[in-house]
Amino acid sequence: MDLFVNKLYIWSRSQKNRNLLIQFFFLIFISLFIYYLFTKAILLDMTLSHFDSRAGFGISHTFIIDYTSNDSRWVSYFTGVINTIRVCIVAILFATLLGTIMGVARLSKNILFSTISYLYVEILRNTPLLIQIIFWQIIFLKLPRISEALTFGNTVVISNRGILLPNASSGDNGNIWITIIIIAVILSLIVSYIINKKEDLEGKSIKLFNFKLNGNLLSILLFFTITITTYFILQKPFNLDLPSIYQNDKGTYLQSGGFEFTPEFGAILFALVMYTGTFITEIVRGSIQSLSKGQTEAAQALGLSNYQIMTLIVLPQALRSIIPPLTNQYLNLTKNSSLSVVIAYPELFMVSRTIMNNSGRALPVFFLILATYLSLSLVISIIMNMINRRVTRIGT
Amino acid sequence: MTKLKLSLLFLSVMSLAIFVACSSEPETITKEVEVIKEVMVEAKSTLKTVQDRGTLKCGVNDNLTGFGVLTSGGTFEGFDIDYCKAVAAAILGDASKVEYVPLTASARFEALGSGEIDMLVRNTTWTASRDRDLANDFTATTFYDGQGMMVYADSGYKTIEDMAGATVCVLQGTTTELNLDDRFTSAGLDYTPLTFETNDPLQAAFEEKRCDGWTTDKSGLASKRAEFPASAGGPDSLVVLAETLSKEPLGPLTRDNDSNFYDVVQWVVFGLIQAEESGITSANVAAMAANPTDPGMARLLGVGFGDGKVSDFSFGVDPTFVQNAIAAVGNYGEIYERHLTPLGLTRSGSLNALWTNGGLIYAPPFR
Repeated sequence: MDLFVNKLYIWSRSQKNRNLLIQFFFLIFISLFIYYLFTKAILLDMTLSHFDSRAGFGISHTFIIDYTSNDSRWVSYFTGVINTIRVCIVAILFATLLGTIMGVARLSKNILFSTISYLYVEILRNTPLLIQIIFWQIIFLKLPRISEALTFGNTVVISNRGILLPNASSGDNGNIWITIIIIAVILSLIVSYIINKKEDLEGKSIKLFNFKLNGNLLSILLFFTITITTYFILQKPFNLDLPSIYQNDKGTYLQSGGFEFTPEFGAILFALVMYTGTFITEIVRGSIQSLSKGQTEAAQALGLSNYQIMTLIVLPQALRSIIPPLTNQYLNLTKNSSLSVVIAYPELFMVSRTIMNNSGRALPVFFLILATYLSLSLVISIIMNMINRRVTRIGT
Repeated sequence: MTKLKLSLLFLSVMSLAIFVACSSEPETITKEVEVIKEVMVEAKSTLKTVQDRGTLKCGVNDNLTGFGVLTSGGTFEGFDIDYCKAVAAAILGDASKVEYVPLTASARFEALGSGEIDMLVRNTTWTASRDRDLANDFTATTFYDGQGMMVYADSGYKTIEDMAGATVCVLQGTTTELNLDDRFTSAGLDYTPLTFETNDPLQAAFEEKRCDGWTTDKSGLASKRAEFPASAGGPDSLVVLAETLSKEPLGPLTRDNDSNFYDVVQWVVFGLIQAEESGITSANVAAMAANPTDPGMARLLGVGFGDGKVSDFSFGVDPTFVQNAIAAVGNYGEIYERHLTPLGLTRSGSLNALWTNGGLIYAPPFR
């Protein structure tokens, strides 16, 4: 017994050991607390079993999943999730593009560009997103009515029910074409990579039969040769799905064919892109300005053009400080997409509210929504962190 | 040394907490919570809460002319609003002691269930799932409605079958959303639903002919049609199809397990209906109370007949509660005339006529 107490005393003399002991007790405490909450939560009927029942309501935008009201609520929920992902991916792409352009424009010597960028940021950053969404919905509703829709020679149809663009549906040889195109792209990339690498290593241009080889040109030529030969062999790669508007026998205007860009999708897309674009503009502007002036001065001294300075010197370095705040904006965008319930775009929050109203069990559904948004945000964060690690590698 | 003392103290506190938590098994925790829930429910019924608080919190619509609308003067007016006033007059003696909480269709049940409001009078349909799944209790039906479809007159639609392939605007979180789907899919018709959260963007879309049809309760359609702006064609450019897609009995709701308050609200509604049947109006209620013509009227108004005692049915409110309600808002007929007749909803021949005139408006006896 004495020996044991002695050993214990010596063990407890170390600060690290004492900390470990306290943390151990804390861990037990926390686990018991969570267990207690779980037992209480079961009382509140935290099951999602009501999601298996028939949905009973329609959804206006279905993408990938062929949803009907006879499907279960799980299917309707996933349709909503797909709609959210669709809007988020497109909005992130365009918002980044717009933000970068506006950010660079803000710093341009051209007064017109910088004023436009300044006004854009100040006006749209300080207006609530909800107002902007409704504004864009009203704009889209002002397009011509479907009875007077604009058709441009049967290729594009514009009305306030949507903008229809020609769609490519895979023809008879669709799959073969896709494989051949992919092979052609890979081949041309390999060719240009090999030739450029060889040129860099040897420091002089490669010569074939006394002709200078340009890697990029060669790869493009290769790509087109493969494509054109395949066209002559296989004929049409895809069928062009041309949109049209017609009336059925009861006089209802129906749209057929083409790729549909509905006003609801457009409104939420434009609003998110414009709104998030302002924040991205400021981030880009800030990172560019944070670079030391010496970089630009040295580049000018070397005789680089403005465009070269921007693309070769400034932006690659500014990229390091852009990525983390950019991730923030992407996550904000994802969460802001939940506002689209106002204009009838059925993304996941709207669909889950309908399910909640029909079934009455709000709490488990809310946890599901939380988990979904958390997963979406984590995926975006992980991707952006990978990119961040790549661009902040010293010596890239 | 103090650091050691602090950590020892912390350790002892945590071990105490662990012992306490360990002592109750999960099952006993369950039972304890159940007992507490029941005690809490019985202890504080909504009726007592309202009487103690001195105001009645009523969940209402603020955007449906005729039923519940926020006027430009800042006051709430409508058919449903009058029932809030009637209940407030019955319980608190003053029809102005109401706090109106405007709610959207998708938020109304959460507000009632969480206790944010005492009762919900917001053109809500009585359905089985709402009664059980959502833990509400529906009191008397004040308006028998049905779902309808409103289209443009120049579209040429006469029946739902004509609308194959159409786009229809509907509100989220309503029975109309589900009925619309049932009707179209069972008839094998294609359609596209546009589900909005509030009526304003929905009306904007309908005005621009983004959707071919607008579906909601026929009373709501009448209300929206009556105020359709002239710039979009005015009321005459719209027509409500003859077909009724579903039954929509509208009335006030309370929470489950709230019998006392539930009974008061229900019998206020019945009282107003009985008043119309007996010919009592807000104008003559005081005279009738002073001199009731028969014992039935005396019981209704909470006065004694002749030298008899006043009948008190143990509602927990003043025996004259129906009298107060009638004095504040009038009988069922007066309320209907005031708010719904201007919308073009005629009573005679409809389900909302008195039972003596062939309708469904019927009150159980005050006895």
